Amino acid sequence: MSHVTRRGVVAGSAALLAAPLSGRAFAAAAVTPRLTAISQWSAGSDGAAITALGRVFEQHGGIWQHNPVPGFTTEMMNKLRAEILAGNPPAVSQLKGPEIAAWSKIYPTINISPWVQAAGLEPHVPAELAASCKPGGHWIALPLQVYRINTLFMSVPGMKRAGVTTPPKTWAEFNTVAAKMKAAGMTPLANGGIRWDDGMKFEIALAGISPDAYRRAIMHLDTKALRGPEVLAAFAQLRKFSSWMDPDIAAQSWAVNVPAFMKGDMGMVLMGGWAQGNLLHAGAKPADFISLAAPQDSGPPCFDLNADCFIFWQQKAADLKAGQTLFAQIMMQPATQEMYSKITGSIPARTDVDLNQPGFLDGQRDSAQNLRAAIAGKRVLLSLAHNMAQPNGTTAAMIDVLTEFVHNPAIQPPDAQKRLVGAVEGA
Amino acid sequence: MPTTEGAARVRAAGPAEPAAPRAVNRRTPGRAPVIAVLTQLAIWVPLGLTALQVVGFTIWTTWVSFTPSTLLPESGFVGLRNYVRVMRTPNLQIAYVNLVIFGVGFVLLTSALGLLLAVLLDQRVRGENVLRTIFLYPLAVSFVVTGTVWSWLLNPGIGIQRLVNNFGWTGFRFDWIVQPDRAIYTLIIAGAWQGAGFAMALFLAGLRSVDSDLVKAAQIDGAGPWRMYRRVLLPTIWPIFITVAAILLQFAIKTFDLVRALTEGGPGISTMLPAVVVYDFMFQRSELGRGAAVAVLMLLTLVVVVAPFGIYLRLRARRQARA
Repeated sequence: MSHVTRRGVVAGSAALLAAPLSGRAFAAAAVTPRLTAISQWSAGSDGAAITALGRVFEQHGGIWQHNPVPGFTTEMMNKLRAEILAGNPPAVSQLKGPEIAAWSKIYPTINISPWVQAAGLEPHVPAELAASCKPGGHWIALPLQVYRINTLFMSVPGMKRAGVTTPPKTWAEFNTVAAKMKAAGMTPLANGGIRWDDGMKFEIALAGISPDAYRRAIMHLDTKALRGPEVLAAFAQLRKFSSWMDPDIAAQSWAVNVPAFMKGDMGMVLMGGWAQGNLLHAGAKPADFISLAAPQDSGPPCFDLNADCFIFWQQKAADLKAGQTLFAQIMMQPATQEMYSKITGSIPARTDVDLNQPGFLDGQRDSAQNLRAAIAGKRVLLSLAHNMAQPNGTTAAMIDVLTEFVHNPAIQPPDAQKRLVGAVEGA
Repeated sequence: MPTTEGAARVRAAGPAEPAAPRAVNRRTPGRAPVIAVLTQLAIWVPLGLTALQVVGFTIWTTWVSFTPSTLLPESGFVGLRNYVRVMRTPNLQIAYVNLVIFGVGFVLLTSALGLLLAVLLDQRVRGENVLRTIFLYPLAVSFVVTGTVWSWLLNPGIGIQRLVNNFGWTGFRFDWIVQPDRAIYTLIIAGAWQGAGFAMALFLAGLRSVDSDLVKAAQIDGAGPWRMYRRVLLPTIWPIFITVAAILLQFAIKTFDLVRALTEGGPGISTMLPAVVVYDFMFQRSELGRGAAVAVLMLLTLVVVVAPFGIYLRLRARRQARA
């Protein structure tokens, strides 16, 4: 038989009465901020970083409801499409480049310019990146992190084996180094067999030959520039790359070559800054490899930029609106961006973050410095293969041409250039 | 053609139905109409839903293929623009050439392997059940698994080529998967590995169903095993060949996952197939209208393949009815 005391009954009734009251009073004052988010980041350092971001959100009193869709970005987009069709998009979702403009046309977004101004973010973000976040003139998305695409990784054991002392600074030097490595019985270039990898090799070549030609041909799809000598030279360089790749790689990721790269059987990797994460994850020590800007034929290195952003979708519920406000404030804080980049190996989207602190590596510092210099010198470019320069349809049509060229030595550079122009016109 | 046949079958089944309610009628007269209605519901609701789904979405996809839809379905009419655009892309042209190579190669190789296995198993070997299970096993794994396993086996750096090279035959080359003009044949190899057991099961069932009197008669006439198969058994089961070919061919036309897992459409875009192109346009490029146009073209291809089979079945039924 349970023991019911009078005091207990009174206390219980008081609590019952108070509960709805306090709840209503709380709702009137402020709702608990809640954020629904979708992204493709579910595992590895990406998963760890977004989980850490969620924890920061929770520490600020919010409810974090992240829904990762693993796989390619397009799979995440299919989920977003379904939610938009159902009239119920998440509060924020991962999106980047021209896709921000394209998707903002099919469902209302919110104007977050006042928050951006209050945080003083705009002067610290590369103009090209800011432009992609405010397609209609006002901010609707916020940048989270930045990667340099034109990054060259050199295997230190590989350099020793081929007798290479300094990393190449121009494509001519790069070609000499690669020939030396090939002569030493190595595979000079550790590549993957996936289409965006092939597309990326081309964009790194063209950006290194002429950032100006890249801007006109790839970012503005200027036909004259696409037919120009720089694009032809980039195809010739891409043909050289293809002769230095591992011929056995089929539809595998470049990362299967990491052990050979660490041993020095493969010499170089042309890959975005995230490759640092892959190398360290595979057990490489920072002394086992050098990372620097990819070769640049004239002038200081350009910065071929890839960035991840979050777009803010219009919401009706008060708690989701409050969640968006809180999330934007957290995302724009330098401390949040530092924390995020330390985990993923990227660099913060805010250029005023100091990377001379423990937790960042030399490669990231080099990359951040490169970005600041490139902003000053107007040499910031947007990545083609990573869907920053063009909408998905155009990008895919162009990469078809590039990947076919890499794998079919019978196609000559002038012919490939004609096909690229045709792909742009047909897209 | 198959639709009218299906309707005919339903009609034929019609008169038999009232028998059931009538049987119930005698015991519980009051409930009879309810049960009759329920019976009708049980048949027509799922049938209607299936028809709505198949026919409805076919019509919807066809409609989308004539609209300017990109990220989301949009209304508006652009005529044949999507069709013209997709037909001009090298992807679709390559995909259709590949479909012919893959379709013919896959059907021939799979049937040949299946028939060989069936004939060998038909020799009343010991442990037939175990062997049959083993040969059927590849069918139990999905094309994604098949593709992934074969992508490693066919990779020259780690797979079969490497194995043979390590055995001492260093000049051996088997690197089709990285050669743009050969990679399509690797799809045939992997596909045939998976489908051969299925073809074997059909052929074996056919061989076993042949009238034993026929076999004995042939034996008395002094036919050896080779002649027995060539002149008696295989000609008797020839309808099975057509069934196997038709089933395998429609597998070939809708092949998607094998390509995704084995080659990702590469090297370059050399192993594209129409289903991969549909996915590519709809979901990678966000061009719903163009993707739908390719899907409609695929449907037309299927009709071209399936219609002769349907006509054949009808002709055969008519001939049997006459006989």
